[in-house]
Amino acid sequence: MAEAILSVRELSKRFGGIHAVARATLDVERGSVTALIGPNGAGKTSLFNVVTGFYRADAGEVRYEGESIFRKSAHSIARRGMVRTFQITKALAAMPVIDNMMLAAPNQPGERLTSLVLRPRAGRRREREVEERARDLLETFDLLKLADDYAATLSGGQRKLLELARALMVEPRFVLLDEPMAGINPTLGRRLLDHMHGLRERDGVTFLFIEHDMDVVMNHADRVIVMAQGAVIADGPPTEIRKDKRVIDAYLGGGGGES
Amino acid sequence: MTLLAISFDAFGQTDFWIAVGVLAGVYGIFTLGLQLNAGFTGIVNFGQAGFMAIGAYGMGILVFEAGWAFIPAMVGAMGCAIAAGLIIGLPSLRLRADYFAIATIAFAEIIRFTAQNLREVTGGNQGLRNFDDAWVDFADPIAETLADFGLSTSRPDLLPLLIVTWLVFIGLIFGMTRLQRTPWGRVVRAVREDEDAVRALGKNPFVYKLQSLSIAAGLGAISGYLLALQLIQLNPDSFQPLFTFLGYTILILGGLANYFGVAIGTIILWTVLEATRFLELPIPDEKIAAIRFMLVGLVLILVIRFRPQGIAGRREEMELG
Repeated sequence: MAEAILSVRELSKRFGGIHAVARATLDVERGSVTALIGPNGAGKTSLFNVVTGFYRADAGEVRYEGESIFRKSAHSIARRGMVRTFQITKALAAMPVIDNMMLAAPNQPGERLTSLVLRPRAGRRREREVEERARDLLETFDLLKLADDYAATLSGGQRKLLELARALMVEPRFVLLDEPMAGINPTLGRRLLDHMHGLRERDGVTFLFIEHDMDVVMNHADRVIVMAQGAVIADGPPTEIRKDKRVIDAYLGGGGGES
Repeated sequence: MTLLAISFDAFGQTDFWIAVGVLAGVYGIFTLGLQLNAGFTGIVNFGQAGFMAIGAYGMGILVFEAGWAFIPAMVGAMGCAIAAGLIIGLPSLRLRADYFAIATIAFAEIIRFTAQNLREVTGGNQGLRNFDDAWVDFADPIAETLADFGLSTSRPDLLPLLIVTWLVFIGLIFGMTRLQRTPWGRVVRAVREDEDAVRALGKNPFVYKLQSLSIAAGLGAISGYLLALQLIQLNPDSFQPLFTFLGYTILILGGLANYFGVAIGTIILWTVLEATRFLELPIPDEKIAAIRFMLVGLVLILVIRFRPQGIAGRREEMELG
């Protein structure tokens, strides 16, 4: 396997007596589109939360781009270029779409009080660059005409697109998507997948996504990681995974081998 | 110009209304901090009266007890208030919103009881005075000039204080509005909407909440100096938690997430609160005093019923948030 952008070893997270993540070990290959699947309660979202710093891990090792990010804070992990989205979209509802986008830009001196006082020009200059990039991305995602609307007025599918576009404002090298296709219509869903492939090919962005739709997983992922009961039980290309006995038992259930 | 003086007199209590105008400005500045915290950042600061007390007492003590000049004393008092904001914010801003609110009330009460009991420094309930010589020297020539135009009050520095207070207030309204339009203001609003989203985009919400609280503390300190000058004598009772809640009343009347709304809110609140002193009703005076606050409550209920976003607030922002 090629070089790993993310490598997780024996990662554990407990909530009281429940092992949400139980000694999970996995690698995500740089430049890949990797799917993370597993039955409900398998610990997929918990794994996302621990890896991205939203939950504090109990034990294990997490390395991103070769550096340990174990127990680092969520914002500092995002700043390194590893950005996530949420299962339930977190559009900043009472802010316009364009502000949602511009908020996400890195290296904006205007976000620091000291820079606002000492070098106000730097913030304004960066603001122009940021706005241009935000509008370009909105254009790509076909959201530009909604730029000045409150994010709350967007449909569920548009919010998913906005959340991906907003994550891209951070200029990430690695994007984690938590059920990007859930609750959106097939047209928007296809567009989202197209964007994902486009970004991977054009900018070399790596993707890890949690998904329940097996057609999407089988057709769009290079690799599939399967979790059950907090641990990784299988890992490989989609063709192998669909034949894997453990996966069929744990996840696809009785006649699921056909899916 | 004499005409103006006559109309003032015809209105009855010129001095009284000028004093009310000063209070309206003072509580306007006080509420700008609450607007930044509650309206824009989404943190419920119930301790603003404590920051105001630190500003007022800090200035009074540094001038009267420590013999500092007036301006350095104001700077020093603001430094104390901002430091207090950091000290209270560092441990308690990590708490959930409701626990944070309780912690800030406790902080404000600690400040008030300290002022009451640290008699050697604060004068306790006897009060602290004689800190405003520099102000009176500054205000006298202004008062004389105004008197030439027929504008005078029996307490000469009151009209200059009204002017200074409202100039500061209006300046701060514009300054805060401008700050809110910067990228910094954008992050702060995003913190109000969803801290996790902000975190996921690489910004630390805690830092912004702490800065927001510190700026509010600074605004509280400024309102504290001006209140001290209006009162002449500082007394712990002027910093009851009640005053923070009057600030929230102003905030809700004027509308959340709009600094200009604070000016509207404070004018409405103080007009209702003070005009009702002159109610002529066939009941004893102390009952009229109680009716005043009932009327404030009634106005608040009517505003929330018919214009829930407040006079200047934006309805979409409130409903979508």
